[in-house]
Amino acid sequence: MSYVLTTLTKKKEIDSIIRDTIDKVLVLRFGRASDPGCLHLDDLLSKSAREVSKFANIALVDIDSEDVQVYIKYFDISLIPSTIFFFNAHHMKMDSGTADHTKWIGAFHTKQDFIDVVEAIFRGAMKGKMIVNCPLPQERIPKYQLLYKDL
Amino acid sequence: MATLADSFLADLDELSDNDADLIEEDDVDAGNMEEDVDGDMADVETLNYDDLDCVSKLQKTQRYSDIMQKVEDALEKGSDISNQGLVLEDDPEYQLIVDCNALSVDIENEIIIIHNFIRDKYRLKFPELESLVHHPIDYARVVKKIGNEMDLTLVDLEGFLPSAIIMVVSVTASTTSGKPLPEEVLQKTIDACDRALALDAAKKKVLDFVESRMGYIAPNLSAIVGSAVAAKLMGTAGGLSALAKMPACNVQLLGAKKKNLAGFSTATSQFRVGYIEQTEVFQTTPPALRMRACRLLAAKSTLAARVDSTRGDPSGNTGRALREEICKKIEKWQEPPPAKQPKPLPVPDSEPKKKRGGRRLRKMKERYALTDMRKLANRMQFGVPEESSLGDGLGEGYGMLGQAGNGKLRVSVGQSKLAAKVAKKFKEKNYGSSGATSGLTSSLAFTPVQGIELTNPQAHAHQLGSGTQSTYFSETGTFSKIKPT
Repeated sequence: MSYVLTTLTKKKEIDSIIRDTIDKVLVLRFGRASDPGCLHLDDLLSKSAREVSKFANIALVDIDSEDVQVYIKYFDISLIPSTIFFFNAHHMKMDSGTADHTKWIGAFHTKQDFIDVVEAIFRGAMKGKMIVNCPLPQERIPKYQLLYKDL
Repeated sequence: MATLADSFLADLDELSDNDADLIEEDDVDAGNMEEDVDGDMADVETLNYDDLDCVSKLQKTQRYSDIMQKVEDALEKGSDISNQGLVLEDDPEYQLIVDCNALSVDIENEIIIIHNFIRDKYRLKFPELESLVHHPIDYARVVKKIGNEMDLTLVDLEGFLPSAIIMVVSVTASTTSGKPLPEEVLQKTIDACDRALALDAAKKKVLDFVESRMGYIAPNLSAIVGSAVAAKLMGTAGGLSALAKMPACNVQLLGAKKKNLAGFSTATSQFRVGYIEQTEVFQTTPPALRMRACRLLAAKSTLAARVDSTRGDPSGNTGRALREEICKKIEKWQEPPPAKQPKPLPVPDSEPKKKRGGRRLRKMKERYALTDMRKLANRMQFGVPEESSLGDGLGEGYGMLGQAGNGKLRVSVGQSKLAAKVAKKFKEKNYGSSGATSGLTSSLAFTPVQGIELTNPQAHAHQLGSGTQSTYFSETGTFSKIKPT
């Protein structure tokens, strides 16, 4: 949807972008371009892409392509949109009070929320932390139910 | 010279007289008039009211008629291109043009003199007209049209004046304090108006002639501002070399109208522009950029005039190039500024925080500084268990507070460094003004060693005293065991 953000469809592309983003937070959104939740998030991401451009890189991953299924399985992505943060090819986790720390599920309320989250990840990563706390108050964090298979 | 002295006296009289006395004055001066005609022609304008010929002499002069004749011949002849190879000064036509320039300046002065004459005569009839219509030629036309008429609704002033001014004139005429003029005065006034209009026509002719030759005389200048304006500029400056010698700021103001009508708003008047205002380039620039354009035009046309005065480029190419440059610059000014891109946020923690300092910050920090009491509590004596708040090593330890040898459980609040400085200053200031001291004490202290010392050494001694008081070693405590060796 966004012409500002690159959409990745191949595994090689994802690999290269993770490897090549140095000293910047890499934000990968996993989702579908047609889904309304994803559209909302994409809109937010494209608007803030230029503002965080000095310390973050944003890309979209289409979960419908076959190449990418490996990653979907690896990151265990079931609800979309899911956003995963990387820093220097290292997966950054964030504790936002939800059950899943490895990714961010859903959209953000405002552009500023997203920028705050990226900044928190950046600061934590520069200090050498692997997991950071979410700076947003609880009401700003989208709540969801995790689907457990076969349980 | 008797006549000169008389004329000066008459000047003085005239300045103090009011309008009603003017007619009487004329009769008195009639006797002096003949002498004055023979006398000095320089201060002509103030005196001779009665006869126009004494006031305006230019049309009678030989020079005037000669030049007008030549101009008319030349206008009929058409332009003469054959003598382009000659040096400019040798060309007879150039000489004619130089003369024309001087003549046009003279004509203008003459018109002003006649205008004064008309105005003085017409004051009896319609005094306010002079302040409403400033331009001499317009004034002359209006006076001629109105004549002796008292009711201005019968007079049609369309075409002579802008409608706003016609309205003001009509309104003022209905309440004017003037009376109709006597017949001969009216006749003289009308004559003067005719004379003024004739001079104006002559000036136009002269300027037309100069303008037609302008392309040959000053091709570069006419390429930039156009031949009409170039002719006017040259005329007002008094020649091409005079124009070339002027700085550009003066060229900008050549021909500027100075008067502002009282009561009319000055917000719309264009200030500080002269003949340059009439150039095509100026008229086509948007009003916001007009001041800058005017300055630019004046500067480049001065350059072109300088090129022309030395015949540096007879083809006019320099002028055309300069004009191109001017047009391009004006276009560039009109471009919209580049669209503002939102700036990306700076990298977090990349810019170090600006640390502030100063007295205020130090006082703030003092509130959280480590106090002496806390320092003592933090330290411990070797081998002696410290006392604690809950006893037996539980609770907070007291450290050196209240230990034997200290002598104090309570440690008074030590003076902070800042407060010490302030206290010292305060003491020094106050030292001489205590009321209880005897009259023999002074701030000067006489010591046998150093002679007179200005600052009181007692303040110094006080400091030393406090310095030797140790906060760590006890004053009263002694060695616990001394073994002779």
